[in-house]
Amino acid sequence: MNYDSTQFGGFSSLFKLDVKLLTIVMSIVIIGLTTLYSVSNGDINLVIKQIVRILIGMSAMVFLAQIHPDNFRLFSPVLYSIGILLLILTIFFGVGKSADRWLDFYFFRFQPSELMKLFVPLMIASFYSDKSLPPRLKNLVIAVVIIIAPAILIAKQPDLGTAILITSSGIIAILLSGIKLSHIFLGSAVAIGAIPLLWSFMYDYQKSRILSFFSPNQDVLGSGYHLAQSKIALGSGGMFGKGYNNGTQSKLDFLPENHTDFIFSAFGEEFGFVGVSILVILYVLVVFRGMSISIKATDNFSRILSGTLILTIFLYVLVNIGMVVGILPVVGAPLPFMSYGGTSMLTVFAALGIIMSIKSHQRLMRK
Amino acid sequence: MVSKYRNETIRKKRRFEEKTSWEEINNPIKDRASHKVRALFAVAAVSIIAAFYLSHIYNIQITNHELYTVKSEDNRIRIRPIEPIRGNIYDRNGTVLAESFDTFDIIAKKENIKSVDNFLINANKVFKFNSDQINEIKSQFSNKKLKEVTLKNNTTIEEFTKLSVDQYLLPEMELIIKSNRRYIYPEATSHLLGYTGKLSENDLDSVIKLKDGMTSVGKTGIERFYQNLLSGTPGYEKLETNANNEIIRVLEKKPALKGQDIFLTIDANLQKFSYGLLKNKKGSIIIMNPKNGDILAFVSHPGFDNNLFVNGISSKDYKKLLNDKARPLFNRALTGQYPPGSTLKPFFGLVALEDSIIDKSKYIGCSGEYKLKNYKRPFKCWKKDGHKDVNLSSAVAGSCDVFFYDLAKISGIDFMHEKLKKFGFGEKTFIDLYGEKLGLLPSREWKNQSRQAPWYPGETLNIGIGQGYFLVTPIQLANATALLASGGESITPHLFLMSMNNNKAEQYGYNENKIKIDIDHDSLHVVNESMWRVVYDKKIGTASHLKEIEGVEFAGKTGTAQVYNLDKGKTGKKSLQDHALFISFAPFENPEIVVSVIVDNGGSGSAVAAPIARDVMNFYFKKIKKQVAAR
Repeated sequence: MNYDSTQFGGFSSLFKLDVKLLTIVMSIVIIGLTTLYSVSNGDINLVIKQIVRILIGMSAMVFLAQIHPDNFRLFSPVLYSIGILLLILTIFFGVGKSADRWLDFYFFRFQPSELMKLFVPLMIASFYSDKSLPPRLKNLVIAVVIIIAPAILIAKQPDLGTAILITSSGIIAILLSGIKLSHIFLGSAVAIGAIPLLWSFMYDYQKSRILSFFSPNQDVLGSGYHLAQSKIALGSGGMFGKGYNNGTQSKLDFLPENHTDFIFSAFGEEFGFVGVSILVILYVLVVFRGMSISIKATDNFSRILSGTLILTIFLYVLVNIGMVVGILPVVGAPLPFMSYGGTSMLTVFAALGIIMSIKSHQRLMRK
Repeated sequence: MVSKYRNETIRKKRRFEEKTSWEEINNPIKDRASHKVRALFAVAAVSIIAAFYLSHIYNIQITNHELYTVKSEDNRIRIRPIEPIRGNIYDRNGTVLAESFDTFDIIAKKENIKSVDNFLINANKVFKFNSDQINEIKSQFSNKKLKEVTLKNNTTIEEFTKLSVDQYLLPEMELIIKSNRRYIYPEATSHLLGYTGKLSENDLDSVIKLKDGMTSVGKTGIERFYQNLLSGTPGYEKLETNANNEIIRVLEKKPALKGQDIFLTIDANLQKFSYGLLKNKKGSIIIMNPKNGDILAFVSHPGFDNNLFVNGISSKDYKKLLNDKARPLFNRALTGQYPPGSTLKPFFGLVALEDSIIDKSKYIGCSGEYKLKNYKRPFKCWKKDGHKDVNLSSAVAGSCDVFFYDLAKISGIDFMHEKLKKFGFGEKTFIDLYGEKLGLLPSREWKNQSRQAPWYPGETLNIGIGQGYFLVTPIQLANATALLASGGESITPHLFLMSMNNNKAEQYGYNENKIKIDIDHDSLHVVNESMWRVVYDKKIGTASHLKEIEGVEFAGKTGTAQVYNLDKGKTGKKSLQDHALFISFAPFENPEIVVSVIVDNGGSGSAVAAPIARDVMNFYFKKIKKQVAAR
């Protein structure tokens, strides 16, 4: 159990990487690039751009894997505070097409909300690292505040999807820390009570998206159009799919956002249920490997953090696939490791880096 | 500074550990075990959710695979019909009467136009319209039936290429090839050929075989009657399109089959000439071959420009046609109904002779009027002084009314109704045009049913001279005359000569359309001779003033049908003037053509209709026959 990974030679141990996790993730990444090539009708430039983003993400992963988890724990409050500060700045100085999600630093722009996807789990894990578990009510309430504060700021942008995702990842962290049964009941009651309040704070387009989820056939060309076309893409794929490069829904642009949010449907159209099953199993294997690292971790901070991060990645997977197959409302969330785009890729690889750091620094367990 | 901070931290921590033993707060063994339980619980939850997701996807991809496959195909595949080329229409000599040709039009589909105002501004920049053209385009926008706006008709590819330089201003504009229809003699053949137009709801429950992809259809005339031959079969293109409706590729193509060319029995020159003779008049001329039923000319005057209808007539033009007092849209030759007047006399005389109601040598004295019991007013002959002694032959030649009043009185209405039927009065001739009217051959029963009144003896007398309730259509009259000329054996009057399909000719079915009526030849001889006397008996013939046709003798009968039974000239209104009629055939011995002329409110048949018929026959024998012989 308690071994030093440096005693095994080789590339991966040198860079403190987990070969199993990396292999599974790289399989998904390759599936994503393959699908992207087909969906873009053979636009190699697009694929190269995506490869560059993946390489940037992997660099971040390798970098973070070198850092000792204690540093994450110690710097969590600082990072969290910076994140909150940036979110406040975004409210005043943010830019963006439909919502002010981006901060423009002249030489580069980024979404502070994306940082919070990592900082919130870090902060919770750090906060609980020296508390008795399961936490007492006071510590539970503090954790909830840690989660809610950024969530409200992000919802204000308005980016309801990300706000909900960050809240969810925080809840995962709390659940993973252990929670008393009575607190679960209390929390559920508060959450249910908050729904009408939340609804009244929502913008119309957010409401319509949620409503369209419950009756997608009512306006096929409106907000339900995305879902209808996504189901057609998947359904026409059948068991073995239409074959690589033969997807009509995605290649003829009937499937909207076909290389970003709806890349799963494009993949399902060409590779069928067999392909889809393999992909879903790969994502489950990512969780298995991540949870195995979490179980083997030697302190509460590492356990909570690695478990939360891996489950949060899976949560993103569930939200995206659930959206494109009609289980969840269309909120506009990318599919980790597959969707075209840089920000999300960077975040998930960074999360992987932190998990790998935890795995490779187990030998430094106290006692 | 740093060491000071660290010392402080360590001190705090010690104090904390003293207060609550670290082991108690953070028991590694216990924490690890309880975390493992929660982690395994999470892994189980992840597995269950993944399985649920896959079952949901299974439902979409496998259970509903067929449904979504259909939807996916519907998305990408569009069927675009290919309009077939409509067959041409020729006259009997191969002269083109109606032809199809391709035009290049610049159009914009309304569905692609987002803002009409912006579109007009940009279109004006490209085309530099004048104000009339802009109004015309605006009216195309307000016409809900049109799916596209035509910016320029009959353009060329070269011109479009020039204009496409400005395509960025007007991305909606596109060039389309349209199959168009052109009528070479628009006015003269308008009632004969009819016209084509856009397929409308009225065409749905008609005899027309509708084929998928047909957009235009024959609306009236020959175009309508032979629609199924002329139209051809539309083809289609199966296209793959993307979400923006742009065509990616053609998946499948089935070419359209061209319609059949049709040759009519019409002689274009004769048709044109006859039409010209009715200039400034209203009326009809039908020229047919009495032996085989071929119609050489089928004229209704005034006609209209049938080219106007092809691409949808403007409401302005249509209103103009509707409001014209001469009623150019009214097909007189087919649907006009007139009292036959004195043109009935040869037919009536013939059936009376056949049934021995009278003898050909029986004379009757005509004093200019005829008295009937119980009628205060006498029945007048057109000739005030009377015809003196007349027999059947001179009564027809001089058109004596008194003779036929007497004959009608002897025959009775039932006999007349019974016997005159055989010439086709009161029945359709079944000429190959739609909309033919029945005319009216009156009878006791008819009057009882339609007027709830008994038949009066005086009415019989009026029927005897082709007046009263009696109505015939010009085509009926021509057909009846053909039976006189041919001795009772003819063929249903028709306009169709043959059709050509891939160089395979299909002739008119002469054998299937024979007409044969029993005519006593001795009686017919008497009647025909009396009709010869109409033209050549200088003493009494009502058309003996006509200039003779060199080398050809013809027979005829004048008719003047009274309108509203009013005294001539009293009202002075032209619309209430008598209809002028003339029926004739030539040459007398072996008739080749029958000419029937009716001039609405033209005055007397002798003065107005007869000279027209004479000119037609003259033209036929002097020009047409020679042309045919030369060919």
